[in-house]
Amino acid sequence: MSSICMETGFVSLIKKGEELCGDRVATVNGEDCCTLVLADGLGSGVKANILSTLTAKIIATMMSNGLSVEECVSTIAQTLPVCKVRQIAYCTFTILQVSTNGDAYLVQFDNPAAILLRDGQSVDYDQTQKVICGKTIYESRFKVRVGDLFLLMSDGVIHAGVGEVLNFGWQRENVVEYAQEKYAPDISAKAMAAVICEACRDLYLNKPGDDTTVAALKVRRRQVVNLMIGPPADKRDDETMMQQFFSKGGKRIVCGGSTSQMVSRYLNKPIRCSIDYADPEIPPTAAIDGVDLVTEGVITIGKVLETARGFSSENDVSLRFQNKKDGASLISQLLFEEATDVNFFVGKAVNPSHQNPNLPININIKMELIQNLADCLSKMGKKVKVNFY
Amino acid sequence: MDISVCIGSSCHLRGSYDIIKGLEALIEQHGLQNQINLAAAFCLGNCTNGVTIKVNDRIVTGVSTENLPQVFKEHVLKALS
Repeated sequence: MSSICMETGFVSLIKKGEELCGDRVATVNGEDCCTLVLADGLGSGVKANILSTLTAKIIATMMSNGLSVEECVSTIAQTLPVCKVRQIAYCTFTILQVSTNGDAYLVQFDNPAAILLRDGQSVDYDQTQKVICGKTIYESRFKVRVGDLFLLMSDGVIHAGVGEVLNFGWQRENVVEYAQEKYAPDISAKAMAAVICEACRDLYLNKPGDDTTVAALKVRRRQVVNLMIGPPADKRDDETMMQQFFSKGGKRIVCGGSTSQMVSRYLNKPIRCSIDYADPEIPPTAAIDGVDLVTEGVITIGKVLETARGFSSENDVSLRFQNKKDGASLISQLLFEEATDVNFFVGKAVNPSHQNPNLPININIKMELIQNLADCLSKMGKKVKVNFY
Repeated sequence: MDISVCIGSSCHLRGSYDIIKGLEALIEQHGLQNQINLAAAFCLGNCTNGVTIKVNDRIVTGVSTENLPQVFKEHVLKALS
């Protein structure tokens, strides 16, 4: 497996009064190559949505299967429905392909020029002009480095605030400046996209005058995070589960009271339980030497799932879990921000105390929580594996 | 004296947070900060009986905000005097 991988994330703001977004992001994150496409359809609402969806999906599918940009563009030209009012079929796009060997290929057609942040500073890249089916596109090829962060955007970003709080909108150089300011080495692609979209929403005074989308791609090293929850259904599997959990590289999270006691026995290290509630709704965390994070089980994971649903949705710019210290936020930071690969170790033991009908927890709920969380993480582009015991 | 309050899932749902805050208040009220070490504990294994606390080595179950003053008097103040 390659040591670098591509993390992607995007956020869209929908034009005020519309229900559908006229921008569309499509991602195909394959073994060797990641393809990210941002398309912005002419107009807004359902027409723009259809145009951009067709464009993004066609390009992402064709490009990730190794077809040339010429073939993609000619396919789109022949496929897009022509607008009755304007008599044109028009959809702008930006295509970014990054391979695990470090080759990047960027194709831009009429969207604001993509921003490349290297070590937090915007760097310029060479572009070659090319005309395909009457459309002028710009191609760039270069090598990426670990830490490189690409920002693709629709024109809603650079029009933010135009005629309202700014005379000329938020121009690309302002976006570059803002992105440089907000950049941190460990910021995730999704968080970067969210930060910029949030600024746009503010400039639009919460009423976006255009569909606004930022899609980010970050080149990063793999980081595995392992999470264990619940003792095995059969006590005889305890040892196996422990060995497999501790033989994996990467960070380790242990969730649940009985589970952490099992870990404490296995490692022969005490559990040091904190009494400080960072959030009264979430039980305090604990510490065991050799484990990166120890928390309570179902309630905490329930909260993590709630946060994951918001974070993996495309219209959410809130990053509620950042800079917070409660168990659920700490797990969220590790799983959503740090991890590129997540391994779950789930024990199916039935906790007798959870069978009380007055309590809102039981084994089915636990399994469902984990399954839903795994789905959310996959949606965020993580490689997820769930092992049951 | 060591007092630990279970903060496992069931006890948490039954109000460990309020019990911890309640105990902190009672300890301060009686000026026992130097004599009592209040801590949290993961599951004490009595999940079906309401919030469980451990006073030194004795397990006390079914603690609620209502009976907390009584529990404190019986298990903490008596033992200290």
